[in-house]
Amino acid sequence: MNVYLKNILRFCVIILLQVLILNKITLRWWNEPSGFPIFIPYVYPLFILLLPFETPVWALLIMGFFLGITVDTFMNTAGMHACATILIAYLRTNVLSALLPRNLSEYANQHPSIKSMGWMPFLVYSGFLIILHHSVFFTIELWNLSNFGMLLLKIAASAITSMLFVIVYLLLFTRQSTSRI
Amino acid sequence: MRNFILFVRRFFNLILFLALEIVCIILIERTNTLQGNDIISSANTVSGIVYKKKSDVVYYFGLKKMNDSLLDENATLRKQIDQLHSVDTLRDSIVHKKISPTDSSIHIVKFADYLYRTARVINNSTNASDNYITINRGSKDGIGKNMAVISGTGVVGRVEHVSAHFASVLSVLSSKQKVSAKLKDGTNGFVVWDEKGPDILTMIDVPQQNIVKKGDSIFTNNYSLFFPPDVLIGTVLKTEVEKKKGLQIIYLRSSTNFHNLQYVYVIENKMAVEKKQVEDSSAKK
Repeated sequence: MNVYLKNILRFCVIILLQVLILNKITLRWWNEPSGFPIFIPYVYPLFILLLPFETPVWALLIMGFFLGITVDTFMNTAGMHACATILIAYLRTNVLSALLPRNLSEYANQHPSIKSMGWMPFLVYSGFLIILHHSVFFTIELWNLSNFGMLLLKIAASAITSMLFVIVYLLLFTRQSTSRI
Repeated sequence: MRNFILFVRRFFNLILFLALEIVCIILIERTNTLQGNDIISSANTVSGIVYKKKSDVVYYFGLKKMNDSLLDENATLRKQIDQLHSVDTLRDSIVHKKISPTDSSIHIVKFADYLYRTARVINNSTNASDNYITINRGSKDGIGKNMAVISGTGVVGRVEHVSAHFASVLSVLSSKQKVSAKLKDGTNGFVVWDEKGPDILTMIDVPQQNIVKKGDSIFTNNYSLFFPPDVLIGTVLKTEVEKKKGLQIIYLRSSTNFHNLQYVYVIENKMAVEKKQVEDSSAKK
């Protein structure tokens, strides 16, 4: 499939998945009357993470902005998601080149995945960027540091849950090219 | 000039990054003022249509539950009508008076000050720190900003963004708005939400001498510009005394179930503008 078509399709799938299904899942890790933070898993940064290796940074930034604004429109958060997404779109290339053994231009026609990078580097790559995204987003959303512990707890819990969902997404939507014998 | 162009080309990515971040910060800043921006909100046409399609699908699964809730609401309304008709002179506490259209007594507040419109909820969130509900009525149906929204069982929120066919409602589950409320004995206060979960609201700064029992109801009062009086907000779950201030905090279970909202009433207070004018003119002096 054409790489443009594929990514446009993925954009739609991820947005619909996030907005119609995951936004309805309210999670809290244990039930306490005094209140453990409630949160929802955000998997939409995955669209930025899975773009092909040689995507130029300006294109990443514009797509990140567009993705963030779309999610913002659906969730009435006006720019908070966009702000966090642009940051990870900007840092993506640096993180990738730090993690990969060869130069980025040598990976033609490939996109970051478990297959092209291996389990460990991919988990570090996506984990780092998703934690970054969540910290920026929740900090902007809360916008005060009065209960810092609560903020950290919220970031940690939702980042771990998002990572679980990201892994599930990858296992579901990655084509198994190796024959299963 | 040449140096400038070279500089821009060298740091193009960084400049683009900073420019986009500044755009975002401006957008966030604009929503924090209460006016908000209508384009990036779920009242927007595109997201409105997506939510409407989804709601059309999910709608059928909730029909049974919705019938039950409408039946319950009819029952309570019937009870209220009966109360208005029968005057119980033996009890000296509360005597209900029938409101007849010919009565020109000025003591009766005419309930026609409030205009009720129904709307269907097409999207609903309960887990952000400011929760919004999208409804399928907009300015073409007469919905305007700052109108109150209630469900069959209690308070829901206030309209914040309006487009031609959709509107998004800031629900009570938000740190941005507080609802003025009263206890059973008439003590006034404010109900806020401090992210303790989607069914728990908090009433703050209640004097300690007010004895509140578990299960007492808390209603809206007449002070609010938008909400009609005596709409149920919630029932008392537990009380807590703040030793420092000598005030007590009351935790309420909200009477509206925010998880399965399907139909709401949008209430227009026709006297709101006049009331606001009078209050503002006295505040200026």
